[in-house]
Amino acid sequence: MLKVTNLKKVYPKSDRVAVDDISFELRPGEIFGFLGQNGAGKSTTIKCLTGILPFEGGSIEVCGYDIQKEPIKAKMNMGYVPDNHSVYEKLTGREYVNYVADLYRVSKEDRTERLERYLDLFKLRFAIDKQIKAYSHGMKQKICIIAALIHEPKLWVLDEPMMGLDPQSTAEIIAYMREHCAKGNTVFFSSHNLDLVKRLCHRVAIINEGHLIDCFDLAGNEENKANLEERFFKITGTYEKRLFEDYVAQEQAEMRPDMPVEEAPASTEDEQ
Amino acid sequence: MNDKISMQSVRTLVRLEMRARFGSRVDTTPKDKAGKALGIIFTLAIYAILVTGIYFLAAMFVRRSDMPFEFLVVAMTFTVCVTTVVAIGNVVKNLYLSGDNELLLRFPVNGKEILLAKSIYCFIHNVVINLLIMIPVCAIYGAVSSAPVGFYFVAIAVMIVAIPLPYAIANLLAIPVMMLMNLVKNQFLLVLILLIAAICGVFILYMTALSGVLEYMRDEGEGMFSPEVMSIFRNFADGAYPFRWYAMLLGGWFSGYSAKDAGLAFLYIFLITAAISVAAYFVTTRTYYKIILIGIETEKVSFQKKIPNIRRSVFGTLLHREFFLILRSFNYSFQYLAMAVAAPVMVYYCNDLAATMGKNTVGAAIVPGLTLLVIIIFSAIIVSFASTSISREGSAFYHTKIVPVSYTTQILAKLVLYAAVGTASVVLSTVVVAAAFGTEEAGRLLTSLDIGCIFIISEMITLALTCLAIASDVKSPTFNVVGDGEMVSANKNMVLSLVVGIVVAALFGVFTMIFSFLPLQVGDVVIIPIGETNNIYAILGGISAVILAASVAGLFANLERRYQRIAP
Repeated sequence: MLKVTNLKKVYPKSDRVAVDDISFELRPGEIFGFLGQNGAGKSTTIKCLTGILPFEGGSIEVCGYDIQKEPIKAKMNMGYVPDNHSVYEKLTGREYVNYVADLYRVSKEDRTERLERYLDLFKLRFAIDKQIKAYSHGMKQKICIIAALIHEPKLWVLDEPMMGLDPQSTAEIIAYMREHCAKGNTVFFSSHNLDLVKRLCHRVAIINEGHLIDCFDLAGNEENKANLEERFFKITGTYEKRLFEDYVAQEQAEMRPDMPVEEAPASTEDEQ
Repeated sequence: MNDKISMQSVRTLVRLEMRARFGSRVDTTPKDKAGKALGIIFTLAIYAILVTGIYFLAAMFVRRSDMPFEFLVVAMTFTVCVTTVVAIGNVVKNLYLSGDNELLLRFPVNGKEILLAKSIYCFIHNVVINLLIMIPVCAIYGAVSSAPVGFYFVAIAVMIVAIPLPYAIANLLAIPVMMLMNLVKNQFLLVLILLIAAICGVFILYMTALSGVLEYMRDEGEGMFSPEVMSIFRNFADGAYPFRWYAMLLGGWFSGYSAKDAGLAFLYIFLITAAISVAAYFVTTRTYYKIILIGIETEKVSFQKKIPNIRRSVFGTLLHREFFLILRSFNYSFQYLAMAVAAPVMVYYCNDLAATMGKNTVGAAIVPGLTLLVIIIFSAIIVSFASTSISREGSAFYHTKIVPVSYTTQILAKLVLYAAVGTASVVLSTVVVAAAFGTEEAGRLLTSLDIGCIFIISEMITLALTCLAIASDVKSPTFNVVGDGEMVSANKNMVLSLVVGIVVAALFGVFTMIFSFLPLQVGDVVIIPIGETNNIYAILGGISAVILAASVAGLFANLERRYQRIAP
């Protein structure tokens, strides 16, 4: 679905290699998490694979199409939700979705059926005919998601999608990621939320200072799930035994200082 | 809220305001310094033209027509009206539309302190504008009428008396102006029509006044206004209150008015100024805080428009989006659509004036060259807007990279839109000049050949300039946008595109004018015999075709790779 081989990116007028020799492959039907600290190279990688940034070395294939050699075919199979959810704010939500649907050559019937479905799913029907500039942060994020999904892409790429979203919207997006995946499509997203990644992803990759350090399965591998935080902190060089033990301890309900034991949630699901 | 005003907070806010307007003392590059110097020279040139105009009018009124008092009334009317209009704009912009209101309210300062600080800035602005207009008026009047030294002291006193009135009126009128602006906020077509009407109105007024001044300069031999014109000025001066009172204070004693008349004039001015100032004070202090809060709360007020899900072609949808993003912005509508529609009116007046003046000095042969010059200049102004076509994508620029549409198609859609508007403007301008200067009644200043060739050359240059403008933005876009994605200010590409357009217009226009009555000869070979305009058009047409081909190639050659290199 997505094959990144030896990707290298250097920004103009900069000596630093933002992304160096990164390789990974995404399979159909999986949710893939992309982890790293701020400035590790997550967004740069995503911008390269969506065609936003040119890159100096390596190759990226989306559904078998090289993003540099056959960009139109590659992009046709991809939907992207940016971290800043920038859109054309002077258009109404419907105008924007129709604009995107036109660019992806979605038929009138398909776009109408999908839009209706997504409006109910993401509870955005009340605002779809309003100008986007009046939307809240979360509503903009939702219209970006609807626009990214209007052509039902095989590869759905999201850059820190849950940032600033309310719990209800987060739950809706998580549910739809799973649904999208169940249809044989692939979801690739970057996040800082280790808990979310642990619960949602089949596989995960950790990037640090432009290098891909680790890539491992989470689905069906309880040990990897349990060790995710420790591996992340160690890879990113932020591991401190004292802090880590506190962190792990606080994840256990009975140890949480802010909550009486009897009121503690059964799992951390609801925190999202 | 604590209503006590801290002067320290006010001083800090005024300093902030000044720094925001005039920049910090950070070292600038030589390029920036050169740009600033050019800007200052341009402003000084405009000011010199204004002062020269005042001088000619003063000489006409005072020396030749013996109407010194009438001149003062006209001058004070002009001064008070202009300064009031400028002050309204300044007050609305700084007090109510300033984007920093929300920011300032987060600091430990109250609404009254913000109001006072901004009012101090607006008042200083008002003083400067008043002095810039009144000093030349008074100095020129004094020189032309050989006034005694006492006049200049009186003039200083009158300036001090005259300064508060425009500012007070502006404060009073700013609130209804703001209400009106809120009312038409989302009426895009109405705003566009109003903008076109306003541009045409102001331009016609300006050109009529300029034409009058030039007409006077041409007929200077006659030495004075006609009796009808003198009578109009006298009647105007008799009834033009309150401007007449200012004139009476300034030079009434010169024109036979008694000290009692001057005293009464002062009293009236004082009372009017005091009454309007008090009203402005109460209205502003009571409403300012509420209005800026409403402004902050309704900043995101938008319209709602229910449309069916329509499927368009890829190219059609790109055009549709580009057009609506321009139409739904006051700034862009004004800079582009209103200018494009108003251009034929401007072309007509400029051409009319230039043709009339030029015809009398070097003959009718220069009219085609002048027409070409004027049409290309206005086309250059209109299409320079295309030089922000990529930059205006702002933070949504990434969108152009992720969609499955080639960059060539996306740029072609922009080119088609801008070229279509530019072409429509050129067609209308050509039709207007043909109707105005190509008829028997107008003396056939333009033949059918002239009109056809002017259209073809102007159109080729318009298309070439559009390509160059877009190409310059592909090369170095600046995604400097604010609020709901509008550009902060014109970027350097716009200036470059304008300069290229004006240079081409000047070269083509001057070439056509000169060789309309002079032969072009290289050695023994006569390339353009006298009166052979066909050859002139053939040469310019050829050059235009080459420029057009080069600009199209410059825009589209290797475009995919160059566009891909743009990093948001």
